[in-house]
Amino acid sequence: MKNRFPNRKSPKFTRKQFILLIVLITTGFIIGYSYNLSKDEVKITNNFLQQDESYREELIDQKERNKELMDEVNHLQEQIRDYEKSFASNQNEYEQMVDKAEQIRLLLGQIPAVGEGIKVTLKDGEYNPNTTNPNDYIVHESHIFMVINELRISGAEAISVNGQRLKANSYIRCNGPVITVDGKQYPAPFEIAAVGNSDTLIDSLQMVGGVFDQLLNDQIVVTLEESGKISMPSVNEES
Amino acid sequence: MWLPLLGLILGLALGLLTDIQIPAVYENYLSIAVLAALDTLFGGIRAHLQQVYDDKVFVSGFFFNIALAAGLAFLGVHLGVDLYLAAIFAFGVRLFQNIAVIRRILITKWEDRHKNGMKNQ
Repeated sequence: MKNRFPNRKSPKFTRKQFILLIVLITTGFIIGYSYNLSKDEVKITNNFLQQDESYREELIDQKERNKELMDEVNHLQEQIRDYEKSFASNQNEYEQMVDKAEQIRLLLGQIPAVGEGIKVTLKDGEYNPNTTNPNDYIVHESHIFMVINELRISGAEAISVNGQRLKANSYIRCNGPVITVDGKQYPAPFEIAAVGNSDTLIDSLQMVGGVFDQLLNDQIVVTLEESGKISMPSVNEES
Repeated sequence: MWLPLLGLILGLALGLLTDIQIPAVYENYLSIAVLAALDTLFGGIRAHLQQVYDDKVFVSGFFFNIALAAGLAFLGVHLGVDLYLAAIFAFGVRLFQNIAVIRRILITKWEDRHKNGMKNQ
Protein backbone atom coordinates (compact mmCIF):
# COMPACT_ATOMS: atom_id res chain seq x y z
CA MET A 1 0.00 0.00 0.00
CA LYS A 2 2.87 2.30 0.65
CA ASN A 3 4.66 2.50 -2.66
CA ARG A 4 1.85 1.82 -4.98
CA PHE A 5 1.56 5.39 -6.17
CA PRO A 6 5.09 6.75 -6.04
CA ASN A 7 4.39 9.44 -8.60
CA ARG A 8 2.16 11.42 -6.19
CA LYS A 9 4.00 14.15 -4.41
CA SER A 10 1.79 14.68 -1.34
CA PRO A 11 3.40 13.35 1.84
CA LYS A 12 -0.05 12.58 3.34
CA PHE A 13 -0.83 10.36 0.41
CA THR A 14 -1.05 6.97 2.09
CA ARG A 15 -3.11 8.20 4.98
CA LYS A 16 -5.49 9.94 2.64
CA GLN A 17 -5.85 6.84 0.59
CA PHE A 18 -6.44 4.73 3.66
CA ILE A 19 -9.17 7.04 4.92
CA LEU A 20 -10.83 7.05 1.53
CA LEU A 21 -10.71 3.28 1.52
CA ILE A 22 -12.43 3.01 4.89
CA VAL A 23 -15.08 5.54 3.95
CA LEU A 24 -15.79 3.78 0.70
CA ILE A 25 -16.00 0.40 2.35
CA THR A 26 -18.49 1.81 4.84
CA THR A 27 -20.53 3.43 2.09
CA GLY A 28 -20.51 0.27 0.04
CA PHE A 29 -21.54 -1.77 3.03
CA ILE A 30 -24.47 0.50 3.86
CA ILE A 31 -25.67 0.62 0.28
CA GLY A 32 -25.34 -3.10 -0.23
CA TYR A 33 -27.04 -3.85 3.04
CA SER A 34 -30.02 -1.62 2.40
CA TYR A 35 -30.28 -3.00 -1.13
CA ASN A 36 -30.46 -6.47 0.36
CA LEU A 37 -33.15 -5.44 2.80
CA SER A 38 -35.36 -3.70 0.29
CA LYS A 39 -34.99 -6.63 -2.11
CA ASP A 40 -36.33 -9.03 0.54
CA GLU A 41 -39.24 -6.72 1.24
CA VAL A 42 -40.22 -6.41 -2.41
CA LYS A 43 -40.11 -10.17 -2.75
CA ILE A 44 -42.47 -10.65 0.20
CA THR A 45 -45.04 -8.12 -0.98
CA ASN A 46 -44.92 -9.57 -4.48
CA ASN A 47 -45.62 -13.01 -3.08
CA PHE A 48 -48.66 -11.76 -1.21
CA LEU A 49 -50.03 -10.00 -4.26
CA GLN A 50 -49.53 -13.06 -6.43
CA GLN A 51 -51.26 -15.27 -3.88
CA ASP A 52 -54.17 -12.88 -3.71
CA GLU A 53 -54.45 -12.83 -7.47
CA SER A 54 -54.31 -16.59 -7.84
CA TYR A 55 -56.97 -17.13 -5.18
CA ARG A 56 -59.21 -14.63 -6.86
CA GLU A 57 -58.80 -16.33 -10.20
CA GLU A 58 -59.52 -19.68 -8.63
CA LEU A 59 -62.68 -18.30 -7.09
CA ILE A 60 -63.85 -16.90 -10.40
CA ASP A 61 -63.14 -20.20 -12.11
CA GLN A 62 -65.08 -22.09 -9.48
CA LYS A 63 -68.03 -19.75 -9.76
CA GLU A 64 -68.13 -20.11 -13.51
CA ARG A 65 -67.92 -23.87 -13.19
CA ASN A 66 -70.75 -23.82 -10.64
CA LYS A 67 -72.89 -21.82 -13.00
CA GLU A 68 -72.22 -24.21 -15.85
CA LEU A 69 -73.07 -27.22 -13.72
CA MET A 70 -76.24 -25.54 -12.47
CA ASP A 71 -77.32 -24.87 -16.03
CA GLU A 72 -76.62 -28.47 -16.86
CA VAL A 73 -78.72 -29.68 -13.91
CA ASN A 74 -81.63 -27.51 -14.93
CA HIS A 75 -81.35 -28.68 -18.50
CA LEU A 76 -81.27 -32.34 -17.52
CA GLN A 77 -84.28 -31.95 -15.28
CA GLU A 78 -86.13 -30.33 -18.11
CA GLN A 79 -85.26 -33.33 -20.25
CA ILE A 80 -86.50 -35.78 -17.62
CA ARG A 81 -89.80 -33.96 -17.46
CA ASP A 82 -90.12 -34.05 -21.22
CA TYR A 83 -89.47 -37.78 -21.20
CA GLU A 84 -92.09 -38.30 -18.56
CA LYS A 85 -94.62 -36.23 -20.44
CA SER A 86 -94.12 -38.18 -23.65
CA PHE A 87 -94.39 -41.31 -21.57
CA ALA A 88 -97.68 -40.17 -20.08
CA SER A 89 -99.26 -39.38 -23.40
CA ASN A 90 -98.46 -42.88 -24.55
CA GLN A 91 -99.57 -44.80 -21.53
CA ASN A 92 -102.50 -43.51 -19.55
CA GLU A 93 -101.85 -45.45 -16.39
CA TYR A 94 -98.64 -43.56 -15.79
CA GLU A 95 -100.30 -40.20 -16.02
CA GLN A 96 -101.16 -40.07 -12.40
CA MET A 97 -97.64 -40.95 -11.35
CA VAL A 98 -96.21 -38.20 -13.51
CA ASP A 99 -98.61 -35.74 -11.92
CA LYS A 100 -97.45 -36.84 -8.55
CA ALA A 101 -93.81 -36.50 -9.54
CA GLU A 102 -94.54 -33.00 -10.77
CA GLN A 103 -96.20 -32.11 -7.51
CA ILE A 104 -93.32 -33.47 -5.48
CA ARG A 105 -90.87 -31.50 -7.58
CA LEU A 106 -92.83 -28.34 -7.02
CA LEU A 107 -92.75 -28.98 -3.31
CA LEU A 108 -89.02 -29.61 -3.45
CA GLY A 109 -88.68 -26.39 -5.36
CA GLN A 110 -86.66 -27.90 -8.16
CA ILE A 111 -88.69 -26.37 -10.96
CA PRO A 112 -90.11 -22.89 -11.29
CA ALA A 113 -93.69 -22.56 -10.11
CA VAL A 114 -96.13 -20.30 -11.94
CA GLY A 115 -99.85 -20.00 -11.45
CA GLU A 116 -102.64 -18.50 -9.41
CA GLY A 117 -102.12 -18.20 -5.72
CA ILE A 118 -102.35 -16.05 -2.65
CA LYS A 119 -100.16 -13.77 -0.64
CA VAL A 120 -100.42 -13.54 3.11
CA THR A 121 -98.69 -10.67 4.87
CA LEU A 122 -98.04 -10.87 8.59
CA LYS A 123 -97.27 -7.57 10.30
CA ASP A 124 -96.48 -6.81 13.91
CA GLY A 125 -99.45 -5.46 15.85
CA GLU A 126 -99.69 -1.82 16.92
CA TYR A 127 -97.89 -0.85 20.05
CA ASN A 128 -100.20 -1.64 22.91
CA PRO A 129 -99.60 0.37 26.08
CA ASN A 130 -101.67 -2.07 28.14
CA THR A 131 -99.22 -4.93 27.70
CA THR A 132 -95.69 -4.63 28.98
CA ASN A 133 -94.37 -7.52 26.92
CA PRO A 134 -93.79 -6.73 23.23
CA ASN A 135 -93.76 -10.47 22.56
CA ASP A 136 -97.52 -10.31 22.86
CA TYR A 137 -98.00 -8.49 19.60
CA ILE A 138 -95.04 -9.24 17.31
CA VAL A 139 -94.85 -11.97 14.70
CA HIS A 140 -93.05 -15.09 15.85
CA GLU A 141 -91.76 -17.87 13.72
CA SER A 142 -94.48 -20.11 15.14
CA HIS A 143 -97.06 -17.94 13.38
CA ILE A 144 -95.20 -18.32 10.14
CA PHE A 145 -95.01 -22.06 10.70
CA MET A 146 -98.74 -22.16 11.24
CA VAL A 147 -99.46 -20.38 7.99
CA ILE A 148 -96.98 -22.44 6.00
CA ASN A 149 -98.21 -25.73 7.40
CA GLU A 150 -101.79 -24.82 6.70
CA LEU A 151 -100.90 -23.82 3.15
CA ARG A 152 -99.03 -27.08 2.58
CA ILE A 153 -101.85 -29.17 3.97
CA SER A 154 -104.37 -27.44 1.74
CA GLY A 155 -102.38 -28.22 -1.38
CA ALA A 156 -100.05 -25.32 -2.09
CA GLU A 157 -97.60 -26.28 -4.79
CA ALA A 158 -94.87 -23.83 -3.89
CA ILE A 159 -94.36 -21.47 -0.98
CA SER A 160 -91.99 -18.58 -0.56
CA VAL A 161 -91.25 -16.29 2.37
CA ASN A 162 -90.31 -12.73 1.45
CA GLY A 163 -89.41 -13.95 -2.02
CA GLN A 164 -87.27 -16.87 -0.86
CA ARG A 165 -88.58 -20.17 -2.16
CA LEU A 166 -88.91 -22.86 0.47
CA LYS A 167 -87.39 -26.25 -0.21
CA ALA A 168 -88.36 -29.57 1.32
CA ASN A 169 -85.61 -29.21 3.89
CA SER A 170 -85.80 -25.46 4.47
CA TYR A 171 -85.52 -24.15 7.97
CA ILE A 172 -86.94 -21.02 9.52
CA ARG A 173 -85.50 -19.70 12.71
CA CYS A 174 -86.53 -16.86 14.97
CA ASN A 175 -83.62 -14.50 15.34
CA GLY A 176 -84.73 -11.62 17.51
CA PRO A 177 -86.68 -9.12 15.42
CA VAL A 178 -85.87 -10.94 12.17
CA ILE A 179 -86.33 -14.49 10.95
CA THR A 180 -83.70 -16.56 9.19
CA VAL A 181 -84.84 -18.55 6.18
CA ASP A 182 -82.15 -20.95 4.98
CA GLY A 183 -79.44 -18.66 6.25
CA LYS A 184 -80.86 -15.39 4.90
CA GLN A 185 -82.38 -12.90 7.28
CA TYR A 186 -85.67 -11.16 6.63
CA PRO A 187 -87.34 -8.45 8.71
CA ALA A 188 -91.05 -7.94 9.29
CA PRO A 189 -93.47 -7.69 7.57
CA PHE A 190 -93.33 -11.24 6.32
CA GLU A 191 -94.93 -11.93 3.01
CA ILE A 192 -95.79 -15.56 2.47
CA ALA A 193 -96.71 -16.38 -1.09
CA ALA A 194 -98.18 -19.68 -2.20
CA VAL A 195 -98.99 -21.08 -5.62
CA GLY A 196 -102.07 -23.25 -5.70
CA ASN A 197 -105.84 -23.18 -5.92
CA SER A 198 -106.51 -19.81 -4.31
CA ASP A 199 -110.09 -20.59 -3.26
CA THR A 200 -109.01 -23.69 -1.36
CA LEU A 201 -106.09 -21.93 0.21
CA ILE A 202 -108.15 -18.95 1.35
CA ASP A 203 -110.92 -21.13 2.68
CA SER A 204 -108.55 -23.26 4.68
CA LEU A 205 -106.86 -20.22 6.16
CA GLN A 206 -110.11 -18.48 7.05
CA MET A 207 -111.73 -21.51 8.64
CA VAL A 208 -113.52 -20.63 11.90
CA GLY A 209 -111.07 -21.26 14.69
CA GLY A 210 -108.38 -21.76 12.08
CA VAL A 211 -105.09 -20.06 11.41
CA PHE A 212 -106.38 -16.55 10.82
CA ASP A 213 -108.43 -16.52 13.98
CA GLN A 214 -105.42 -17.62 15.99
CA LEU A 215 -103.23 -14.95 14.38
CA LEU A 216 -105.77 -12.22 15.05
CA ASN A 217 -106.01 -13.48 18.58
CA ASP A 218 -102.26 -12.88 18.88
CA GLN A 219 -102.67 -9.19 17.86
CA ILE A 220 -101.04 -9.71 14.46
CA VAL A 221 -102.10 -7.69 11.45
CA VAL A 222 -102.87 -10.14 8.65
CA THR A 223 -103.60 -9.13 5.08
CA LEU A 224 -104.66 -11.59 2.46
CA GLU A 225 -104.27 -10.97 -1.22
CA GLU A 226 -105.45 -13.11 -4.07
CA SER A 227 -103.29 -13.09 -7.14
CA GLY A 228 -103.99 -14.40 -10.61
CA LYS A 229 -100.37 -15.13 -11.36
CA ILE A 230 -97.54 -15.77 -8.97
CA SER A 231 -94.21 -16.99 -10.28
CA MET A 232 -91.33 -18.33 -8.28
CA PRO A 233 -87.93 -19.37 -9.59
CA SER A 234 -86.58 -22.82 -8.89
CA VAL A 235 -84.27 -23.01 -5.92
CA ASN A 236 -81.43 -24.07 -8.19
CA GLU A 237 -81.43 -20.73 -9.93
CA GLU A 238 -80.57 -18.88 -6.78
CA SER A 239 -76.93 -18.76 -5.96
CA MET B 1 -6.91 5.33 -7.90
CA TRP B 2 -7.98 1.70 -7.97
CA LEU B 3 -7.78 1.14 -4.25
CA PRO B 4 -10.92 3.16 -3.30
CA LEU B 5 -12.89 1.48 -6.06
CA LEU B 6 -11.75 -1.88 -4.75
CA GLY B 7 -12.85 -0.77 -1.31
CA LEU B 8 -16.29 0.20 -2.64
CA ILE B 9 -16.69 -3.18 -4.29
CA LEU B 10 -15.52 -4.94 -1.15
CA GLY B 11 -18.02 -2.98 0.94
CA LEU B 12 -20.83 -3.74 -1.49
CA ALA B 13 -19.99 -7.42 -1.42
CA LEU B 14 -19.89 -7.42 2.37
CA GLY B 15 -23.24 -5.65 2.55
CA LEU B 16 -24.86 -8.00 0.07
CA LEU B 17 -23.51 -11.08 1.77
CA THR B 18 -24.42 -10.19 5.36
CA ASP B 19 -27.60 -11.85 6.44
CA ILE B 20 -28.43 -9.89 9.57
CA GLN B 21 -32.05 -8.92 9.90
CA ILE B 22 -32.83 -5.59 11.52
CA PRO B 23 -36.29 -4.57 12.70
CA ALA B 24 -38.39 -2.74 10.13
CA VAL B 25 -38.51 0.31 12.40
CA TYR B 26 -34.84 1.03 11.77
CA GLU B 27 -35.00 0.93 7.99
CA ASN B 28 -35.65 4.67 7.93
CA TYR B 29 -32.32 5.24 9.62
CA LEU B 30 -30.57 3.09 7.06
CA SER B 31 -31.94 5.04 4.12
CA ILE B 32 -30.81 8.26 5.75
CA ALA B 33 -27.39 6.78 6.39
CA VAL B 34 -27.11 5.87 2.72
CA LEU B 35 -28.01 9.41 1.74
CA ALA B 36 -25.57 10.92 4.23
CA ALA B 37 -22.75 8.67 3.04
CA LEU B 38 -23.38 9.52 -0.61
CA ASP B 39 -23.58 13.21 0.19
CA THR B 40 -20.28 13.21 2.05
CA LEU B 41 -18.64 11.16 -0.67
CA PHE B 42 -19.64 13.54 -3.42
CA GLY B 43 -18.75 16.48 -1.21
CA GLY B 44 -15.28 14.97 -0.85
CA ILE B 45 -14.92 14.53 -4.60
CA ARG B 46 -16.00 18.12 -5.18
CA ALA B 47 -13.57 19.40 -2.55
CA HIS B 48 -10.82 17.35 -4.15
CA LEU B 49 -11.55 18.84 -7.58
CA GLN B 50 -11.67 22.35 -6.13
CA GLN B 51 -8.39 21.66 -4.30
CA VAL B 52 -9.82 22.40 -0.86
CA TYR B 53 -9.87 18.78 0.23
CA ASP B 54 -9.02 18.06 3.84
CA ASP B 55 -8.73 14.67 5.45
CA LYS B 56 -10.11 15.54 8.81
CA VAL B 57 -13.06 17.46 7.46
CA PHE B 58 -13.90 14.62 5.12
CA VAL B 59 -13.76 11.78 7.63
CA SER B 60 -15.37 13.69 10.46
CA GLY B 61 -18.04 14.90 8.07
CA PHE B 62 -18.71 11.38 6.88
CA PHE B 63 -19.29 9.83 10.27
CA PHE B 64 -20.77 12.89 11.90
CA ASN B 65 -23.34 13.35 9.12
CA ILE B 66 -24.43 9.75 9.35
CA ALA B 67 -24.71 9.97 13.13
CA LEU B 68 -26.54 13.28 12.99
CA ALA B 69 -29.02 12.05 10.41
CA ALA B 70 -29.70 8.89 12.37
CA GLY B 71 -30.04 10.88 15.59
CA LEU B 72 -32.46 13.28 13.94
CA ALA B 73 -34.57 10.42 12.69
CA PHE B 74 -34.50 8.82 16.12
CA LEU B 75 -35.62 12.06 17.74
CA GLY B 76 -38.33 12.45 15.12
CA VAL B 77 -39.71 8.98 15.77
CA HIS B 78 -39.88 9.65 19.48
CA LEU B 79 -41.40 13.12 19.12
CA GLY B 80 -43.92 12.01 16.52
CA VAL B 81 -42.58 14.50 13.99
CA ASP B 82 -41.14 13.30 10.70
CA LEU B 83 -37.77 14.90 11.30
CA TYR B 84 -35.99 12.44 9.03
CA LEU B 85 -37.60 14.33 6.16
CA ALA B 86 -35.43 17.29 7.07
CA ALA B 87 -32.32 15.14 6.77
CA ILE B 88 -33.47 13.66 3.47
CA PHE B 89 -34.27 17.08 2.10
CA ALA B 90 -30.96 18.64 3.19
CA PHE B 91 -28.86 15.75 1.94
CA GLY B 92 -30.81 15.48 -1.29
CA VAL B 93 -30.36 19.14 -2.14
CA ARG B 94 -26.69 19.01 -1.27
CA LEU B 95 -26.20 15.87 -3.27
CA PHE B 96 -27.60 17.52 -6.37
CA GLN B 97 -25.56 20.68 -5.82
CA ASN B 98 -22.36 18.72 -5.32
CA ILE B 99 -22.94 16.65 -8.42
CA ALA B 100 -23.74 19.78 -10.43
CA VAL B 101 -20.49 21.43 -9.29
CA ILE B 102 -18.52 18.27 -10.08
CA ARG B 103 -20.06 18.15 -13.54
CA ARG B 104 -19.27 21.77 -14.24
CA ILE B 105 -15.67 21.39 -13.09
CA LEU B 106 -15.20 18.27 -15.20
CA ILE B 107 -16.69 19.97 -18.27
CA THR B 108 -14.41 22.97 -17.84
CA LYS B 109 -11.40 20.72 -17.47
CA TRP B 110 -12.33 18.69 -20.52
CA GLU B 111 -12.87 21.78 -22.62
CA ASP B 112 -9.54 23.21 -21.52
CA ARG B 113 -7.76 20.01 -22.44
CA HIS B 114 -9.57 19.92 -25.76
CA LYS B 115 -8.56 23.49 -26.60
CA ASN B 116 -4.97 22.87 -25.57
CA GLY B 117 -4.86 19.78 -27.71
CA MET B 118 -6.15 21.74 -30.70
CA LYS B 119 -3.55 24.43 -30.15
CA ASN B 120 -0.76 21.92 -29.85
CA GLN B 121 -1.73 20.40 -33.15
